Amino acid sequence: MPQFKQDFSPLSIEAIHEVAAARKSEGYRYVQTLAVNTEDGVDLVYSFMKDGALDNEVVSGVPRDAVIPSITDVFLEAFVFENEIHDLFGVHFEGIAIDFGGNFYHLSVKEPMTIISPEQKAARDKARKIAAAKAAKEAKAKKAAEQAGAQEAPAQAAEAATAAAAGAAEDAAAKEAELEAKLANMDPEKAAKVRAAMEAKAKKAAAAERKGE
Amino acid sequence: MGKSTIIPFGPQHPVLPEPLHLDLVVEDETVIDCIPQIGFVHRGLEKLVETRDYNQFIYVAERICGICAMGHSLGYAETVESLMGVEVPRRAEYLRVIWHELSRIHSHLLWLGLAADAFGFESMFMHCWRLRERVLDIFEKTTGGRVILSVVRVGGVNRDIDDAMLREIVNVLDGIKDDYTKIMNTLLTDTSVKNRTVGVGFISKEAALDLSMVGPFSRASDVPYDVRSFGRGAYGELSDFQPVTDAQGDCFARVKVRCLEVLQSIEIIKELAAKVPAGDISVAVKGAPAEGAQASNVLEQPRGECYYYARGNGTKYLERMRMRTPTSQNLAGMATALKGCDLADVNMIVLTIDPCISCTER
Repeated sequence: MPQFKQDFSPLSIEAIHEVAAARKSEGYRYVQTLAVNTEDGVDLVYSFMKDGALDNEVVSGVPRDAVIPSITDVFLEAFVFENEIHDLFGVHFEGIAIDFGGNFYHLSVKEPMTIISPEQKAARDKARKIAAAKAAKEAKAKKAAEQAGAQEAPAQAAEAATAAAAGAAEDAAAKEAELEAKLANMDPEKAAKVRAAMEAKAKKAAAAERKGE
Repeated sequence: MGKSTIIPFGPQHPVLPEPLHLDLVVEDETVIDCIPQIGFVHRGLEKLVETRDYNQFIYVAERICGICAMGHSLGYAETVESLMGVEVPRRAEYLRVIWHELSRIHSHLLWLGLAADAFGFESMFMHCWRLRERVLDIFEKTTGGRVILSVVRVGGVNRDIDDAMLREIVNVLDGIKDDYTKIMNTLLTDTSVKNRTVGVGFISKEAALDLSMVGPFSRASDVPYDVRSFGRGAYGELSDFQPVTDAQGDCFARVKVRCLEVLQSIEIIKELAAKVPAGDISVAVKGAPAEGAQASNVLEQPRGECYYYARGNGTKYLERMRMRTPTSQNLAGMATALKGCDLADVNMIVLTIDPCISCTER
Protein backbone atom coordinates (compact mmCIF):
# COMPACT_ATOMS: atom_id res chain seq x y z
CA MET A 1 0.00 0.00 0.00
CA PRO A 2 1.63 3.34 -1.03
CA GLN A 3 1.94 5.96 1.71
CA PHE A 4 0.88 9.56 1.26
CA LYS A 5 3.60 12.14 1.72
CA GLN A 6 3.84 15.77 0.67
CA ASP A 7 6.89 17.73 -0.29
CA PHE A 8 7.53 21.37 -1.29
CA SER A 9 10.53 22.33 -3.41
CA PRO A 10 11.55 25.56 -5.21
CA LEU A 11 11.41 25.94 -8.99
CA SER A 12 12.45 28.70 -11.42
CA ILE A 13 10.33 30.06 -14.28
CA GLU A 14 12.76 28.77 -16.93
CA ALA A 15 12.67 25.24 -15.51
CA ILE A 16 8.86 24.87 -15.40
CA HIS A 17 8.44 23.23 -18.79
CA GLU A 18 11.55 21.10 -18.43
CA VAL A 19 10.46 19.79 -15.01
CA ALA A 20 6.93 19.06 -16.28
CA ALA A 21 8.32 17.05 -19.19
CA ALA A 22 10.71 15.20 -16.88
CA ARG A 23 7.88 14.39 -14.45
CA LYS A 24 5.77 13.07 -17.30
CA SER A 25 8.54 10.76 -18.51
CA GLU A 26 9.08 9.55 -14.94
CA GLY A 27 5.43 8.46 -14.82
CA TYR A 28 4.08 11.17 -12.55
CA ARG A 29 0.42 12.25 -12.67
CA TYR A 30 -0.26 15.94 -13.07
CA VAL A 31 -2.29 17.15 -10.10
CA GLN A 32 -2.76 20.88 -10.40
CA THR A 33 -1.37 24.40 -10.71
CA LEU A 34 -2.35 27.17 -8.31
CA ALA A 35 -1.38 30.77 -7.70
CA VAL A 36 -0.94 32.75 -4.49
CA ASN A 37 -0.96 36.55 -4.56
CA THR A 38 1.92 37.89 -2.46
CA GLU A 39 3.57 41.27 -1.98
CA ASP A 40 6.47 40.29 -4.24
CA GLY A 41 4.32 39.08 -7.14
CA VAL A 42 2.52 35.81 -7.64
CA ASP A 43 3.65 32.41 -6.36
CA LEU A 44 2.82 29.47 -8.63
CA VAL A 45 2.60 25.95 -7.23
CA TYR A 46 2.78 22.98 -9.64
CA SER A 47 1.83 19.60 -8.17
CA PHE A 48 2.64 16.14 -9.45
CA MET A 49 2.03 12.78 -7.86
CA LYS A 50 3.49 9.30 -8.11
CA ASP A 51 2.78 6.36 -5.78
CA GLY A 52 1.29 8.59 -3.11
CA ALA A 53 4.18 11.08 -3.08
CA LEU A 54 2.73 14.54 -3.72
CA ASP A 55 5.47 16.73 -5.16
CA ASN A 56 4.68 20.49 -4.99
CA GLU A 57 7.07 22.69 -6.98
CA VAL A 58 6.85 26.35 -5.91
CA VAL A 59 7.80 29.21 -8.26
CA SER A 60 8.12 32.19 -5.89
CA GLY A 61 7.58 35.86 -6.71
CA VAL A 62 6.61 35.74 -10.38
CA PRO A 63 6.60 39.41 -11.57
CA ARG A 64 3.31 40.76 -13.00
CA ASP A 65 4.74 41.21 -16.50
CA ALA A 66 6.43 37.79 -16.72
CA VAL A 67 5.46 35.31 -19.45
CA ILE A 68 5.13 31.75 -18.18
CA PRO A 69 5.60 28.84 -20.59
CA SER A 70 2.44 26.72 -20.78
CA ILE A 71 2.73 23.03 -19.94
CA THR A 72 -0.42 22.06 -21.87
CA ASP A 73 1.66 20.44 -24.61
CA VAL A 74 2.84 17.95 -21.97
CA PHE A 75 -0.25 17.82 -19.76
CA LEU A 76 -3.34 18.90 -21.74
CA GLU A 77 -5.48 18.92 -18.58
CA ALA A 78 -3.52 21.96 -17.30
CA PHE A 79 -5.46 24.26 -19.67
CA VAL A 80 -8.20 24.73 -17.06
CA PHE A 81 -5.74 25.98 -14.43
CA GLU A 82 -3.67 28.16 -16.74
CA ASN A 83 -6.76 29.92 -18.09
CA GLU A 84 -8.08 30.29 -14.56
CA ILE A 85 -4.83 31.79 -13.23
CA HIS A 86 -4.72 34.15 -16.20
CA ASP A 87 -8.25 35.41 -15.50
CA LEU A 88 -8.04 35.59 -11.71
CA PHE A 89 -4.39 36.62 -11.16
CA GLY A 90 -3.41 38.24 -14.46
CA VAL A 91 -0.43 35.92 -15.03
CA HIS A 92 0.27 35.55 -18.73
CA PHE A 93 0.83 32.03 -20.08
CA GLU A 94 2.27 31.47 -23.53
CA GLY A 95 1.10 28.66 -25.80
CA ILE A 96 -1.94 27.28 -23.92
CA ALA A 97 -3.44 24.43 -26.00
CA ILE A 98 -7.01 25.68 -25.46
CA ASP A 99 -6.60 29.41 -24.84
CA PHE A 100 -9.73 31.35 -23.90
CA GLY A 101 -7.86 34.67 -24.10
CA GLY A 102 -9.21 36.02 -20.81
CA ASN A 103 -12.79 34.82 -21.32
CA PHE A 104 -12.64 31.66 -19.24
CA TYR A 105 -14.49 33.12 -16.27
CA HIS A 106 -17.22 35.72 -16.61
CA LEU A 107 -16.05 38.29 -14.06
CA SER A 108 -17.33 41.73 -13.11
CA VAL A 109 -13.91 42.77 -11.76
CA LYS A 110 -10.65 42.21 -13.63
CA GLU A 111 -8.11 39.93 -11.92
CA PRO A 112 -10.09 39.78 -8.66
CA MET A 113 -7.55 37.66 -6.76
CA THR A 114 -4.85 40.36 -7.01
CA ILE A 115 -6.95 42.89 -5.11
CA ILE A 116 -5.63 43.18 -1.58
CA SER A 117 -8.73 43.51 0.57
CA PRO A 118 -8.67 45.72 3.70
CA GLU A 119 -9.01 42.52 5.75
CA GLN A 120 -5.98 40.96 4.12
CA LYS A 121 -3.98 44.16 4.57
CA ALA A 122 -4.98 44.21 8.26
CA ALA A 123 -3.96 40.54 8.58
CA ARG A 124 -0.57 41.23 7.03
CA ASP A 125 -0.04 44.29 9.29
CA LYS A 126 -0.98 42.19 12.29
CA ALA A 127 1.50 39.49 11.30
CA ARG A 128 4.19 42.14 10.98
CA LYS A 129 3.30 43.64 14.38
CA ILE A 130 3.40 40.24 16.05
CA ALA A 131 6.83 39.58 14.57
CA ALA A 132 8.05 43.05 15.65
CA ALA A 133 6.68 42.58 19.20
CA LYS A 134 8.42 39.24 19.45
CA ALA A 135 11.72 40.71 18.26
CA ALA A 136 11.41 43.66 20.66
CA LYS A 137 10.68 41.32 23.55
CA GLU A 138 13.71 39.22 22.77
CA ALA A 139 15.94 42.30 22.41
CA LYS A 140 14.72 43.67 25.77
CA ALA A 141 15.32 40.38 27.50
CA LYS A 142 18.82 40.26 26.04
CA LYS A 143 19.54 43.84 27.12
CA ALA A 144 18.28 43.15 30.63
CA ALA A 145 20.46 40.07 30.87
CA GLU A 146 23.48 42.05 29.70
CA GLN A 147 22.79 44.83 32.20
CA ALA A 148 22.41 42.36 35.01
CA GLY A 149 25.75 40.85 34.01
CA ALA A 150 27.54 44.23 33.86
CA GLN A 151 26.26 45.43 37.23
CA GLU A 152 27.45 42.44 39.18
CA ALA A 153 30.45 44.37 40.58
CA PRO A 154 28.67 47.19 42.58
CA ALA A 155 27.20 46.80 46.05
CA GLN A 156 24.65 44.03 46.61
CA ALA A 157 21.80 46.32 47.57
CA ALA A 158 22.12 48.34 44.38
CA GLU A 159 22.33 45.15 42.34
CA ALA A 160 19.18 43.72 43.88
CA ALA A 161 17.30 46.97 43.19
CA THR A 162 18.42 47.08 39.54
CA ALA A 163 17.60 43.43 39.02
CA ALA A 164 14.14 43.92 40.51
CA ALA A 165 13.55 46.98 38.35
CA ALA A 166 14.81 45.18 35.26
CA GLY A 167 12.62 42.19 36.13
CA ALA A 168 9.57 44.39 36.59
CA ALA A 169 10.26 46.20 33.32
CA GLU A 170 10.75 42.88 31.57
CA ASP A 171 7.49 41.54 33.03
CA ALA A 172 5.62 44.63 31.88
CA ALA A 173 7.15 44.41 28.41
CA ALA A 174 6.32 40.70 28.16
CA LYS A 175 2.73 41.35 29.24
CA GLU A 176 2.39 44.16 26.74
CA ALA A 177 3.77 42.04 23.90
CA GLU A 178 1.47 39.17 24.83
CA LEU A 179 -1.56 41.46 24.88
CA GLU A 180 -0.55 42.95 21.54
CA ALA A 181 -0.27 39.47 20.04
CA LYS A 182 -3.70 38.55 21.42
CA LEU A 183 -5.22 41.72 19.99
CA ALA A 184 -3.57 41.10 16.65
CA ASN A 185 -5.26 37.70 16.45
CA MET A 186 -8.69 39.21 17.07
CA ASP A 187 -11.18 40.64 14.65
CA PRO A 188 -10.07 44.26 13.86
CA GLU A 189 -13.37 45.73 15.16
CA LYS A 190 -13.23 43.73 18.37
CA ALA A 191 -9.59 44.65 18.90
CA ALA A 192 -10.44 48.35 18.54
CA LYS A 193 -13.20 47.97 21.15
CA VAL A 194 -10.86 46.20 23.58
CA ARG A 195 -8.23 48.91 23.09
CA ALA A 196 -10.78 51.66 23.78
CA ALA A 197 -11.97 49.86 26.93
CA MET A 198 -8.39 49.49 28.15
CA GLU A 199 -7.65 53.17 27.61
CA ALA A 200 -10.79 54.14 29.52
CA LYS A 201 -9.73 51.85 32.36
CA ALA A 202 -6.25 53.35 32.49
CA LYS A 203 -7.72 56.89 32.60
CA LYS A 204 -10.05 55.90 35.43
CA ALA A 205 -7.19 54.36 37.40
CA ALA A 206 -5.07 57.49 36.91
CA ALA A 207 -7.98 59.70 38.07
CA ALA A 208 -8.52 57.53 41.15
CA GLU A 209 -4.81 57.76 41.97
CA ARG A 210 -4.88 61.54 41.72
CA LYS A 211 -7.94 61.67 44.00
CA GLY A 212 -6.25 59.42 46.50
CA GLU A 213 -3.22 61.71 46.61
CA MET B 1 -18.32 13.62 -45.42
CA GLY B 2 -20.39 16.74 -44.93
CA LYS B 3 -18.94 20.07 -43.98
CA SER B 4 -18.26 20.67 -40.31
CA THR B 5 -20.63 22.70 -38.16
CA ILE B 6 -20.27 23.98 -34.61
CA ILE B 7 -23.16 23.11 -32.32
CA PRO B 8 -23.31 24.86 -28.93
CA PHE B 9 -24.32 22.48 -26.13
CA GLY B 10 -25.37 24.05 -22.83
CA PRO B 11 -24.99 25.89 -20.48
CA GLN B 12 -28.77 25.41 -20.31
CA HIS B 13 -29.61 21.87 -21.37
CA PRO B 14 -32.13 19.36 -20.01
CA VAL B 15 -29.47 16.74 -19.33
CA LEU B 16 -27.06 19.05 -17.51
CA PRO B 17 -27.57 19.47 -13.78
CA GLU B 18 -25.10 22.35 -13.80
CA PRO B 19 -23.98 24.99 -16.31
CA LEU B 20 -21.32 23.54 -18.62
CA HIS B 21 -20.88 24.77 -22.16
CA LEU B 22 -19.51 22.62 -24.97
CA ASP B 23 -18.66 23.74 -28.47
CA LEU B 24 -19.19 20.58 -30.50
CA VAL B 25 -17.63 20.48 -33.94
CA VAL B 26 -19.76 17.99 -35.88
CA GLU B 27 -19.56 16.46 -39.30
CA ASP B 28 -22.90 14.92 -40.24
CA GLU B 29 -23.86 13.30 -36.90
CA THR B 30 -20.33 12.66 -35.64
CA VAL B 31 -18.55 14.88 -33.13
CA ILE B 32 -15.01 15.46 -34.36
CA ASP B 33 -13.88 17.98 -31.75
CA CYS B 34 -15.09 19.47 -28.52
CA ILE B 35 -14.09 22.53 -26.51
CA PRO B 36 -15.43 22.59 -22.96
CA GLN B 37 -16.07 25.88 -21.24
CA ILE B 38 -17.04 26.70 -17.69
CA GLY B 39 -17.17 30.04 -15.90
CA PHE B 40 -20.88 30.72 -15.44
CA VAL B 41 -21.08 30.17 -11.69
CA HIS B 42 -17.76 31.46 -10.33
CA ARG B 43 -18.48 32.83 -6.84
CA GLY B 44 -15.00 33.70 -5.57
CA LEU B 45 -15.24 31.50 -2.47
CA GLU B 46 -11.44 31.14 -2.26
CA LYS B 47 -11.17 34.92 -1.82
CA LEU B 48 -13.50 34.71 1.20
CA VAL B 49 -10.73 33.03 3.20
CA GLU B 50 -9.34 36.53 3.82
CA THR B 51 -12.41 37.63 5.74
CA ARG B 52 -13.25 34.43 7.65
CA ASP B 53 -10.89 32.93 10.19
CA TYR B 54 -9.84 29.30 9.81
CA ASN B 55 -12.63 28.02 12.08
CA GLN B 56 -15.33 30.00 10.30
CA PHE B 57 -14.16 29.13 6.80
CA ILE B 58 -15.17 25.49 7.21
CA TYR B 59 -18.79 26.60 6.74
CA VAL B 60 -17.87 28.32 3.49
CA ALA B 61 -15.87 25.27 2.36
CA GLU B 62 -18.82 22.93 2.72
CA ARG B 63 -21.07 25.27 0.79
CA ILE B 64 -18.86 25.00 -2.32
CA CYS B 65 -21.13 22.19 -3.47
CA GLY B 66 -24.20 20.59 -1.92
CA ILE B 67 -23.39 17.05 -2.99
CA CYS B 68 -19.73 17.12 -1.91
CA ALA B 69 -20.38 19.22 1.24
CA MET B 70 -19.08 16.60 3.67
CA GLY B 71 -15.99 15.92 1.55
CA HIS B 72 -15.04 19.59 1.25
CA SER B 73 -15.39 20.27 4.97
CA LEU B 74 -13.33 17.15 5.70
CA GLY B 75 -10.63 18.01 3.15
CA TYR B 76 -10.40 21.58 4.42
CA ALA B 77 -10.18 20.49 8.07
CA GLU B 78 -7.49 17.90 7.30
CA THR B 79 -5.43 20.49 5.43
CA VAL B 80 -5.58 23.05 8.26
CA GLU B 81 -4.79 20.32 10.79
CA SER B 82 -1.76 19.34 8.72
CA LEU B 83 -0.78 23.03 8.53
CA MET B 84 -0.95 23.44 12.31
CA GLY B 85 0.24 19.96 13.30
CA VAL B 86 -2.99 19.01 15.06
CA GLU B 87 -3.57 15.36 15.98
CA VAL B 88 -7.23 14.34 15.66
CA PRO B 89 -8.72 11.82 18.16
CA ARG B 90 -9.21 8.32 16.71
CA ARG B 91 -12.94 8.31 17.36
CA ALA B 92 -13.33 11.53 15.34
CA GLU B 93 -11.44 9.95 12.41
CA TYR B 94 -13.83 6.99 12.38
CA LEU B 95 -16.93 9.19 12.55
CA ARG B 96 -15.59 11.42 9.77
CA VAL B 97 -15.09 8.42 7.48
CA ILE B 98 -18.54 7.03 8.30
CA TRP B 99 -20.19 10.33 7.32
CA HIS B 100 -17.95 10.71 4.30
CA GLU B 101 -18.82 7.24 2.98
CA LEU B 102 -22.52 7.90 3.61
CA SER B 103 -22.18 11.03 1.50
CA ARG B 104 -20.53 8.96 -1.23
CA ILE B 105 -23.56 6.63 -1.23
CA HIS B 106 -25.93 9.58 -1.46
CA SER B 107 -23.88 11.20 -4.22
CA HIS B 108 -23.68 8.02 -6.30
CA LEU B 109 -27.40 7.31 -5.86
CA LEU B 110 -28.22 10.86 -6.93
CA TRP B 111 -25.99 10.46 -9.97
CA LEU B 112 -27.45 7.05 -10.81
CA GLY B 113 -30.94 8.54 -10.73
CA LEU B 114 -29.92 11.39 -13.03
CA ALA B 115 -28.19 8.98 -15.41
CA ALA B 116 -31.25 6.71 -15.50
CA ASP B 117 -33.40 9.75 -16.20
CA ALA B 118 -31.05 10.74 -19.04
CA PHE B 119 -31.51 7.46 -20.86
CA GLY B 120 -35.24 7.60 -20.38
CA PHE B 121 -35.57 5.23 -17.41
CA GLU B 122 -37.70 7.45 -15.22
CA SER B 123 -38.96 4.85 -12.76
CA MET B 124 -35.32 3.98 -12.01
CA PHE B 125 -34.70 7.66 -11.24
CA MET B 126 -37.53 7.54 -8.68
CA HIS B 127 -36.19 4.35 -7.08
CA CYS B 128 -32.63 5.66 -6.75
CA TRP B 129 -33.78 8.89 -5.16
CA ARG B 130 -36.10 6.97 -2.84
CA LEU B 131 -33.09 5.05 -1.51
CA ARG B 132 -31.03 8.24 -1.29
CA GLU B 133 -33.75 9.69 0.91
CA ARG B 134 -33.01 7.02 3.53
CA VAL B 135 -29.34 8.02 3.59
CA LEU B 136 -30.39 11.67 4.03
CA ASP B 137 -32.59 10.54 6.95
CA ILE B 138 -29.47 9.08 8.62
CA PHE B 139 -27.76 12.44 8.15
CA GLU B 140 -30.71 14.24 9.65
CA LYS B 141 -30.75 11.97 12.69
CA THR B 142 -27.00 12.12 13.33
CA THR B 143 -26.15 15.70 12.39
CA GLY B 144 -29.40 17.67 12.15
CA GLY B 145 -28.76 18.59 8.50
CA ARG B 146 -29.69 16.70 5.35
CA VAL B 147 -27.29 18.18 2.81
CA ILE B 148 -25.05 20.70 4.60
CA LEU B 149 -23.99 18.75 7.68
CA SER B 150 -21.65 21.22 9.50
CA VAL B 151 -20.35 18.34 11.56
CA VAL B 152 -16.61 18.53 10.93
CA ARG B 153 -14.46 21.09 12.74
CA VAL B 154 -10.74 21.78 12.76
CA GLY B 155 -9.53 19.32 15.40
CA GLY B 156 -12.33 16.73 15.25
CA VAL B 157 -16.08 16.58 14.84
CA ASN B 158 -18.94 18.53 16.43
CA ARG B 159 -21.29 15.65 17.17
CA ASP B 160 -20.91 12.13 18.44
CA ILE B 161 -22.80 9.05 17.20
CA ASP B 162 -23.73 6.75 20.09
CA ASP B 163 -23.64 2.94 19.86
CA ALA B 164 -27.42 2.60 19.44
CA MET B 165 -27.32 5.01 16.50
CA LEU B 166 -24.37 3.17 14.95
CA ARG B 167 -26.40 -0.07 15.11
CA GLU B 168 -29.36 1.71 13.56
CA ILE B 169 -27.17 3.02 10.73
CA VAL B 170 -25.97 -0.52 10.01
CA ASN B 171 -29.59 -1.79 10.03
CA VAL B 172 -30.75 0.95 7.66
CA LEU B 173 -27.80 0.24 5.35
CA ASP B 174 -28.67 -3.49 5.32
CA GLY B 175 -32.18 -2.53 4.22
CA ILE B 176 -30.82 -0.16 1.57
CA LYS B 177 -28.43 -2.85 0.35
CA ASP B 178 -31.24 -5.32 -0.35
CA ASP B 179 -33.28 -2.80 -2.30
CA TYR B 180 -30.22 -1.39 -4.01
CA THR B 181 -28.93 -4.77 -5.19
CA LYS B 182 -32.25 -5.34 -6.98
CA ILE B 183 -32.05 -1.93 -8.67
CA MET B 184 -28.39 -2.42 -9.58
CA ASN B 185 -29.00 -5.85 -11.11
CA THR B 186 -31.83 -4.46 -13.20
CA LEU B 187 -29.70 -1.56 -14.36
CA LEU B 188 -26.65 -3.61 -15.24
CA THR B 189 -28.55 -6.33 -17.13
CA ASP B 190 -31.17 -4.22 -18.90
CA THR B 191 -30.84 -4.28 -22.69
CA SER B 192 -31.99 -0.71 -23.23
CA VAL B 193 -29.34 0.54 -20.77
CA LYS B 194 -26.67 -1.50 -22.53
CA ASN B 195 -27.79 -0.18 -25.92
CA ARG B 196 -27.15 3.36 -24.76
CA THR B 197 -23.90 2.78 -22.88
CA VAL B 198 -21.83 -0.19 -24.09
CA GLY B 199 -18.96 0.93 -26.34
CA VAL B 200 -19.91 4.61 -26.02
CA GLY B 201 -17.30 7.22 -25.01
CA PHE B 202 -14.37 4.82 -24.82
CA ILE B 203 -11.19 5.93 -23.02
CA SER B 204 -8.20 3.61 -23.00
CA LYS B 205 -6.05 3.04 -19.95
CA GLU B 206 -3.13 4.82 -21.66
CA ALA B 207 -5.28 7.89 -22.38
CA ALA B 208 -6.61 7.88 -18.82
CA LEU B 209 -3.07 7.87 -17.41
CA ASP B 210 -1.91 10.40 -19.98
CA LEU B 211 -4.69 12.85 -19.07
CA SER B 212 -4.23 12.28 -15.30
CA MET B 213 -7.92 11.45 -14.95
CA VAL B 214 -9.27 10.81 -11.46
CA GLY B 215 -12.13 9.07 -9.69
CA PRO B 216 -14.60 6.52 -11.08
CA PHE B 217 -13.95 7.99 -14.55
CA SER B 218 -10.34 6.73 -14.47
CA ARG B 219 -11.13 3.56 -12.52
CA ALA B 220 -13.54 2.55 -15.30
CA SER B 221 -10.50 2.65 -17.61
CA ASP B 222 -8.60 0.24 -15.35
CA VAL B 223 -6.50 2.84 -13.51
CA PRO B 224 -6.48 1.59 -9.90
CA TYR B 225 -5.99 5.04 -8.37
CA ASP B 226 -8.02 5.79 -5.26
CA VAL B 227 -6.83 8.14 -2.50
CA ARG B 228 -8.54 5.93 0.08
CA SER B 229 -5.99 3.19 -0.62
CA PHE B 230 -3.25 5.34 1.03
CA GLY B 231 -4.89 4.23 4.26
CA ARG B 232 -4.97 7.60 6.01
CA GLY B 233 -7.34 8.30 8.91
CA ALA B 234 -9.71 5.43 9.63
CA TYR B 235 -9.20 3.97 6.13
CA GLY B 236 -5.97 2.46 7.45
CA GLU B 237 -8.04 0.28 9.82
CA LEU B 238 -9.92 -1.48 7.02
CA SER B 239 -9.00 -5.15 6.73
CA ASP B 240 -8.81 -4.93 2.97
CA PHE B 241 -9.37 -2.08 0.56
CA GLN B 242 -9.18 -2.58 -3.18
CA PRO B 243 -10.34 0.17 -5.56
CA VAL B 244 -13.26 -0.90 -7.78
CA THR B 245 -11.97 -0.97 -11.36
CA ASP B 246 -13.23 -2.08 -14.74
CA ALA B 247 -11.21 -2.59 -17.91
CA GLN B 248 -13.97 -1.78 -20.40
CA GLY B 249 -13.43 2.02 -20.43
CA ASP B 250 -16.87 2.96 -21.81
CA CYS B 251 -20.02 4.56 -20.36
CA PHE B 252 -21.26 1.17 -19.15
CA ALA B 253 -18.03 0.60 -17.21
CA ARG B 254 -18.44 3.98 -15.52
CA VAL B 255 -22.01 3.14 -14.51
CA LYS B 256 -20.84 -0.23 -13.21
CA VAL B 257 -17.91 1.18 -11.19
CA ARG B 258 -20.18 3.70 -9.44
CA CYS B 259 -22.81 1.01 -8.81
CA LEU B 260 -20.25 -1.26 -7.15
CA GLU B 261 -18.73 1.61 -5.17
CA VAL B 262 -22.05 2.07 -3.37
CA LEU B 263 -21.82 -1.53 -2.13
CA GLN B 264 -18.17 -0.99 -1.20
CA SER B 265 -19.05 2.11 0.84
CA ILE B 266 -21.79 0.18 2.67
CA GLU B 267 -19.22 -2.48 3.60
CA ILE B 268 -16.70 0.16 4.76
CA ILE B 269 -19.29 1.79 7.03
CA LYS B 270 -20.39 -1.56 8.47
CA GLU B 271 -16.80 -2.56 9.22
CA LEU B 272 -15.86 0.77 10.82
CA ALA B 273 -19.12 1.03 12.79
CA ALA B 274 -18.19 -2.20 14.56
CA LYS B 275 -14.70 -0.91 15.39
CA VAL B 276 -15.29 2.72 16.49
CA PRO B 277 -12.99 3.28 19.50
CA ALA B 278 -14.17 5.12 22.63
CA GLY B 279 -12.73 8.52 23.45
CA ASP B 280 -12.94 12.22 22.72
CA ILE B 281 -14.43 13.51 19.50
CA SER B 282 -12.35 16.67 19.21
CA VAL B 283 -9.31 18.49 20.55
CA ALA B 284 -9.10 22.22 21.24
CA VAL B 285 -7.10 23.97 18.53
CA LYS B 286 -5.29 27.10 19.72
CA GLY B 287 -3.02 29.59 18.05
CA ALA B 288 -2.67 30.36 14.37
CA PRO B 289 -0.82 28.85 11.41
CA ALA B 290 2.75 30.17 11.18
CA GLU B 291 3.64 32.78 8.57
CA GLY B 292 4.55 31.18 5.26
CA ALA B 293 3.63 27.67 6.45
CA GLN B 294 2.02 25.66 3.67
CA ALA B 295 0.26 22.32 3.47
CA SER B 296 -1.27 20.25 0.71
CA ASN B 297 -3.68 17.36 0.93
CA VAL B 298 -5.66 15.00 -1.28
CA LEU B 299 -9.00 13.38 -0.53
CA GLU B 300 -11.19 10.92 -2.44
CA GLN B 301 -14.46 12.72 -3.12
CA PRO B 302 -17.37 10.84 -4.71
CA ARG B 303 -16.15 12.20 -8.07
CA GLY B 304 -12.47 11.50 -7.50
CA GLU B 305 -9.32 12.97 -6.03
CA CYS B 306 -9.67 16.50 -4.69
CA TYR B 307 -6.55 18.56 -3.92
CA TYR B 308 -6.37 21.14 -1.11
CA TYR B 309 -3.70 23.71 -0.41
CA ALA B 310 -3.44 26.17 2.47
CA ARG B 311 -0.89 28.84 3.37
CA GLY B 312 -0.80 30.67 6.70
CA ASN B 313 0.30 34.24 7.47
CA GLY B 314 0.77 34.15 11.24
CA THR B 315 -2.81 35.21 12.01
CA LYS B 316 -6.10 33.33 12.32
CA TYR B 317 -6.88 34.24 8.72
CA LEU B 318 -5.31 32.03 6.06
CA GLU B 319 -3.28 33.70 3.34
CA ARG B 320 -4.60 31.33 0.68
CA MET B 321 -6.93 28.34 0.48
CA ARG B 322 -7.27 26.41 -2.71
CA MET B 323 -9.42 23.44 -3.74
CA ARG B 324 -8.76 21.63 -7.01
CA THR B 325 -11.83 19.55 -7.67
CA PRO B 326 -12.03 16.25 -9.57
CA THR B 327 -14.13 17.67 -12.40
CA SER B 328 -11.55 20.28 -13.45
CA GLN B 329 -9.04 17.45 -13.75
CA ASN B 330 -11.48 15.39 -15.83
CA LEU B 331 -12.50 18.09 -18.33
CA ALA B 332 -9.68 17.21 -20.74
CA GLY B 333 -10.62 13.51 -20.49
CA MET B 334 -14.24 14.37 -21.20
CA ALA B 335 -13.27 16.32 -24.34
CA THR B 336 -11.22 13.31 -25.47
CA ALA B 337 -14.06 10.86 -24.79
CA LEU B 338 -16.44 13.02 -26.85
CA LYS B 339 -14.26 12.96 -29.97
CA GLY B 340 -15.67 10.55 -32.52
CA CYS B 341 -18.94 9.92 -30.72
CA ASP B 342 -22.45 10.25 -32.10
CA LEU B 343 -24.18 13.56 -31.42
CA ALA B 344 -27.00 11.69 -29.65
CA ASP B 345 -24.50 10.11 -27.24
CA VAL B 346 -23.00 13.41 -26.05
CA ASN B 347 -25.40 13.71 -23.10
CA MET B 348 -24.67 10.13 -22.00
CA ILE B 349 -20.90 10.69 -22.05
CA VAL B 350 -21.09 14.04 -20.26
CA LEU B 351 -23.30 12.54 -17.58
CA THR B 352 -21.17 9.44 -16.94
CA ILE B 353 -18.24 11.72 -16.09
CA ASP B 354 -20.49 13.11 -13.35
CA PRO B 355 -19.37 16.73 -13.78
CA CYS B 356 -19.78 19.04 -10.80
CA ILE B 357 -19.33 22.53 -12.15
CA SER B 358 -20.09 24.56 -9.04
CA CYS B 359 -17.27 22.64 -7.28
CA THR B 360 -14.94 23.31 -10.18
CA GLU B 361 -15.50 27.06 -10.26
CA ARG B 362 -15.95 27.71 -6.54
